Amino acid sequence: MALHRPIAPALLLPLLLSPPVQAGDGDGTDYRLGRGYALGDSGFRLGGYASAVVAAPRNLPWRFALKDLSLFVTWEREHWRFFSETEVSNALSAGQGQSLGVHEAEVEIERLYLDYLHDDALALRFGKFLTPIGRWNLLHAEPVVWTTTRPVATYLLFATNDTGLMLHGNVPLLGKRLEYQVYGGLGSALDPKQPDNPFANSIGAHLNLALTDTLELGLSYANFRLDENHAPSGTQPSDSLGYSNITVLYPVEFPDHDADQRQNLVGLDAAWSYRRFEVMSEWVFRAGGQERFWQGYVQGVAPLAGTPWYAVGRYEYFQQEWGPPGQLGVFGLALRPIPPLVWKVEYRLGSHNEAIAPDGLYGSIAVLF
Amino acid sequence: MKAPRRLASLLFALLLGCAPAGLAEPLAVIAAAHGPLDKLAPDTLKRVYSRKSQLDPHGIRWIPVNLPAADPLRRAFSLAVFDALPEDLEEYWNIQYFQGINPPQVLASEEAVLRFVAATPGAMGYVRAHLVDARVKVLLLLPIPDLRH
Repeated sequence: MALHRPIAPALLLPLLLSPPVQAGDGDGTDYRLGRGYALGDSGFRLGGYASAVVAAPRNLPWRFALKDLSLFVTWEREHWRFFSETEVSNALSAGQGQSLGVHEAEVEIERLYLDYLHDDALALRFGKFLTPIGRWNLLHAEPVVWTTTRPVATYLLFATNDTGLMLHGNVPLLGKRLEYQVYGGLGSALDPKQPDNPFANSIGAHLNLALTDTLELGLSYANFRLDENHAPSGTQPSDSLGYSNITVLYPVEFPDHDADQRQNLVGLDAAWSYRRFEVMSEWVFRAGGQERFWQGYVQGVAPLAGTPWYAVGRYEYFQQEWGPPGQLGVFGLALRPIPPLVWKVEYRLGSHNEAIAPDGLYGSIAVLF
Repeated sequence: MKAPRRLASLLFALLLGCAPAGLAEPLAVIAAAHGPLDKLAPDTLKRVYSRKSQLDPHGIRWIPVNLPAADPLRRAFSLAVFDALPEDLEEYWNIQYFQGINPPQVLASEEAVLRFVAATPGAMGYVRAHLVDARVKVLLLLPIPDLRH
């Protein structure tokens, strides 16, 4: 793979130097949907997920795409753990006035990192990882989230990936467990496939405290510059199509931005779950220069008695530069006939949301494999 | 969490058609006889089986093993440790899988658990207490409903 050529050898070296695997480690060669395929006793496991999305925004052309085809490679041995996610987005796509084809297919490495685990309290990660801000971004894949559309607050004000070093682990605190992640970006030079909205010179941290078995609270902080001409600023996209939060279907070119201006971002998140009920919320505030933006959402999920159906509702609020704050309501249904598979359909309706997250009907099917 | 867990265990026994006549033979959490650990706290057991803890205090990677999800012993273990049946944890494991963490591997029988644990550094499993022999040692005893009737 030409992508990530600078970091791939460093990440793969410990794998090549590792001792043989002891017998019986791993799950043998049994395959189970949603849990991947273990390559014998090598310590490697292959897996991934796929999703197909249909979007019918009210004033935009309808679109269909085989949105994600992601391959996971995991490997772990003693103190080492490797993980990669290689994604083909829009492997197939079609739309109003556009025939089915592969012309929008793109390959990207979403994650590629190596962990050294000193103990439970301290691990060092090197590579490309999901930016630990809030909750959604860390588990954004279609099969594990409840809506096809993504809350604006979970991607617009920060880069969803970063490349660099991270310390992470969990420590006891007041009789609970505190999970932490502290990271510093080493710049996009290590990531030849430029994302739409890369960080530059980032530092940040995320804390997550499990107060009970059912309630978790999180706190995020990040300080960063936005790479020139790739700035997610909450400003209006120049593309007249606008975009939904299905950004791969409705891509946006971010406007020019003051690349010297450092940004500060703080976030709060919370998740409560009991049996099949769930409430999740996260809020972020970003300030840099003259810009100040609040964005957030609250989402609830409830099972429909005795069935694999779930009702989902979400409220979103997002401040934006060019007009009054936008608000959204998302109302949907999700069907999980088996755990790794989910069908979703939802309607999104809002105010001052046309450019960022247009009203409309959205649906998807997704599966972990 | 103790009271709901006990209630869930008793309800589980009722669902299986068992008389909830108190707690029967305990379930033994085991490790290799020659391993460095002699005991295990319940909270640590929970973190190992949820894969929140990856390494033991000696730096050896934990290798927890489970029985099949339909096995009554697995279901009782899941209720005792997580206050949830294996199918209630599928969403949790979906999220962990996305983050590169796989659930404990599954072995077919208690004898398979005994053999694997005895031979594998860092391995941990559970069997009915009367099956424990010299190959392994007991780190923790968990009371469970009598599921043999």
